[in-house]
Amino acid sequence: MDTATLIIAVASVFAVLSAIGVLLTRDNLYAAIYMSVTMLLIAAIYAVYNVQQVVVLIAFVFVGAVGMITIAIAATYRSVPTKKVSIAWIAPVIIVFAITSYFYYNFATSNLKVQGLSLAFEKLSTDYMVLLVFLFSLMILMMLSAIKLARRVEL
Amino acid sequence: MNQLFIVLTASLAVLLIAYLTAISARDLIRLLISLELMFGAVFLAILPLFSIDASTAFAIVVLTIFTSSSELLVLITAIVLLDRSKKGIDLEKVSVGGETP
Repeated sequence: MDTATLIIAVASVFAVLSAIGVLLTRDNLYAAIYMSVTMLLIAAIYAVYNVQQVVVLIAFVFVGAVGMITIAIAATYRSVPTKKVSIAWIAPVIIVFAITSYFYYNFATSNLKVQGLSLAFEKLSTDYMVLLVFLFSLMILMMLSAIKLARRVEL
Repeated sequence: MNQLFIVLTASLAVLLIAYLTAISARDLIRLLISLELMFGAVFLAILPLFSIDASTAFAIVVLTIFTSSSELLVLITAIVLLDRSKKGIDLEKVSVGGETP
């Protein structure tokens, strides 16, 4: 096992352990903190492959903004609710997990080698212009929906 | 054990934990956290695509990050509103859409 594989394995193990922390902790604040740690470790796996653009996006947008807002709202509504597994949802979870496991097992046959990354950032604004336009439209629509929900007035 | 196997196994494990968190959640904050964990599993699952077509993979990552951020914005607003109207954020206080006034 080479150094990169070892680093990926260690980061993956810690990511799964902190995700288990989300599941086991009873306090929402600690669950949000564990979730942010999980996302940072996922960003670290991207860093091993030198995909720095995605590392920055995950670290700044997903952890820096989304994670911090979740931690803040978890601290605001800090409660320790009792846990009770919804029995009705166990069957769909097992089915989805089995299908995903099957395809992952058949797909995971070779090492990863990231290529063509230097052009990916430049090509995003040209090849995926329509995608970006729809993305900005979606974000504006979501923000307007949030404002409308918060103000409870017709815009 | 190759790198792809490790990454996809981690993705699957995080996804399963996120599902378990979602079905055992008793309040909306925990449900929100489980949704974000699911997005974490998605990020790990997208990683192999970078070895096939990096620009498409990057576009999907950008789309995923900003969609989840927008979704979080609306969900947090909904949680605050639910707390105002129902005086709590427990899942039991969330009524099925349109069935009850």
